[in-house]
Amino acid sequence: MDGKRSKHEFRSNTLPAVVTVGPVSLLLLFLVVAPLVFVAVMSFCGTDEYYNVVYSFTAENYGKLLSVDYLKIYARSLLISFITTVLCVLIGYPFAYIIARTKSKKRQLLYMLVIIPFWTNSLIRIYGWRSFLGNSGWLVKALQFLHIIQEPVDFLYKTGTTVLGMVYCFVPFMVLPLYTAIEKLDGSLLEASSDLGAKPVRTLFEVILPLTSGGIFSGCIMVFIPCLGYFFVSNILGGGNTDMIGNLIERQFKSANNWPLGAALSIILILLTLLLVKLYQRLGGDMESLGV
Amino acid sequence: MKKRMITALLVLALTAMNISGCGGSAKSDAPAGKGELNLFVWTEYLPDSVVSKFQEETGIKVNVSTYSSNEDMLAKVKSEAAGAYDVLQPSDYMVAQLIAQGMLAELDFDKLPNFSHIGDSYKDPSYDPGNKFSVPYMGGAGAIAVNTDKVDIDITSYADLFDPALEGDVVILDDFRAVIGMTSKSLGYDLSETDPAKLEEVAGKLMELKKNVALYDSDSPKSALISGDCSAGMIWSAEIAMAMEEVPSIKVVYPDEGAYLFFDNWVVTKDAPNYDNAITWINFIMDPENMAMVLEEFPYLCANTDAIAIMGDDYSNNPAKNPPADAIAKGSYVENLDSETLDIYNEMWTKLKE
Repeated sequence: MDGKRSKHEFRSNTLPAVVTVGPVSLLLLFLVVAPLVFVAVMSFCGTDEYYNVVYSFTAENYGKLLSVDYLKIYARSLLISFITTVLCVLIGYPFAYIIARTKSKKRQLLYMLVIIPFWTNSLIRIYGWRSFLGNSGWLVKALQFLHIIQEPVDFLYKTGTTVLGMVYCFVPFMVLPLYTAIEKLDGSLLEASSDLGAKPVRTLFEVILPLTSGGIFSGCIMVFIPCLGYFFVSNILGGGNTDMIGNLIERQFKSANNWPLGAALSIILILLTLLLVKLYQRLGGDMESLGV
Repeated sequence: MKKRMITALLVLALTAMNISGCGGSAKSDAPAGKGELNLFVWTEYLPDSVVSKFQEETGIKVNVSTYSSNEDMLAKVKSEAAGAYDVLQPSDYMVAQLIAQGMLAELDFDKLPNFSHIGDSYKDPSYDPGNKFSVPYMGGAGAIAVNTDKVDIDITSYADLFDPALEGDVVILDDFRAVIGMTSKSLGYDLSETDPAKLEEVAGKLMELKKNVALYDSDSPKSALISGDCSAGMIWSAEIAMAMEEVPSIKVVYPDEGAYLFFDNWVVTKDAPNYDNAITWINFIMDPENMAMVLEEFPYLCANTDAIAIMGDDYSNNPAKNPPADAIAKGSYVENLDSETLDIYNEMWTKLKE
């Protein structure tokens, strides 16, 4: 075969390929693939008496994950994330609809109402909620002033407070994909629906919602998945007494000092996430609308 | 051949840029002057004013990072590259653990003349015989804080914190050794109990505590007491002193069972790149004037008897700032556990927080 020629072609293609794709590949290799492999390897390691990682094979960490305590925490995390997602849809959809259907100048303003908090550090905003909801906070003061309550009510450090903080953090993640989907909605279709005699409610359920379901889907994925891994909201607003998967993982890497167990917990969370994304694709979701 | 060489060189250059990019940035931060010092200390434990004074006096640039539990500190030190921190501030039992793992450097006492200001009773501790690796800083107790305006029951012991009257009204330290130790104490067991049968009983008792605890907080547990979100708690004694200054109805109680005690120490890490600066810092902080500056802001139990002399009665006669001698005598320090017991402790802690 004419080895000489093809070899030459091969070589001349390599240089540009290495120069253009090389840096990105290296970056991905070092920053994505290597850490993931490291976490996966660590999840099969043991520990010595000081909880130093010992590189020997054991499946013990995964065995531990099946204990009732961990399963309870997983179940609670899924439940809290689910409730958060549903609330985000209920709050985010009307809001996104209003933004998308508003005339140009006001629209920018409404859009900024979502974006500006989104740009502010979420930790600071969550601490803000803590002092707002506290026993000597503004909410209690206002309610007392209006004589709705006499004695201060404890709003803080409950599971409900955690959900509130989560919804607050994640509403922008829901509004943005919904906005994109609703904006694309053709107004003449709504007119057609009404011309053909459909009441607004019927138009909503049979025209608007089906046509924007892609946005709802991607919004749900963007809220549900990060919600599973969040730990500081339940620490600050939940008082640290309603653990989620994120707290469990954080603790293994910090105070409990059991990295292999933490790695195993992370791997399970990653698998859970992949499963959800796969499900999303199966249901006809578009990866591009996830912003990836 | 030439082209292949160029390709190989390019790849090499790219890799080299990557690597040198990582290594170079850490060093370029260092100023040309007297060098740097990296402190890794507890939150709310070292005033900025003292750090600035040190920087002005010595010209050494100080970087301060903070942690809120001994275990967090250990995990962080292990995960960073060797030499990321020069000076740490571990508690008693953690000093022993760091020594056992060979993570500390011996202190050069020829350059620590201010060690003479430390009270004799604080020298030569059981966790570091002969003070080879550590000098004592401050300590205190995991004492009980109670807001007498809001709590009707009489609180004299750790066991009282389990009273159903306090449901959802308690703040405790986010520290598993402190909380499990306190629970063992409330049942009459050891602070560092290791007997599995007794620990099972402790695990059951913790479930009673679960109903009462609203908040786990080691960073600033006083805040929840001051704001009124919690009415009682087991927190650092000096945090109680600070809360008492804001809300006079808050009182400090040293439990009948004997309190959980802690003492924090200055140590230098084994691979400390700035060993000399670290020693300069430790000698500086043992100067009574400087230590008194610390006590003004964070009034803990202090090992520096000459600094206490500067502080006067307001410090010495306040039971939350300067715990009474009998409370200290009755209390106990946390001891290191074997890994099997530690597993049981971690399990109990997960159950408590699930």
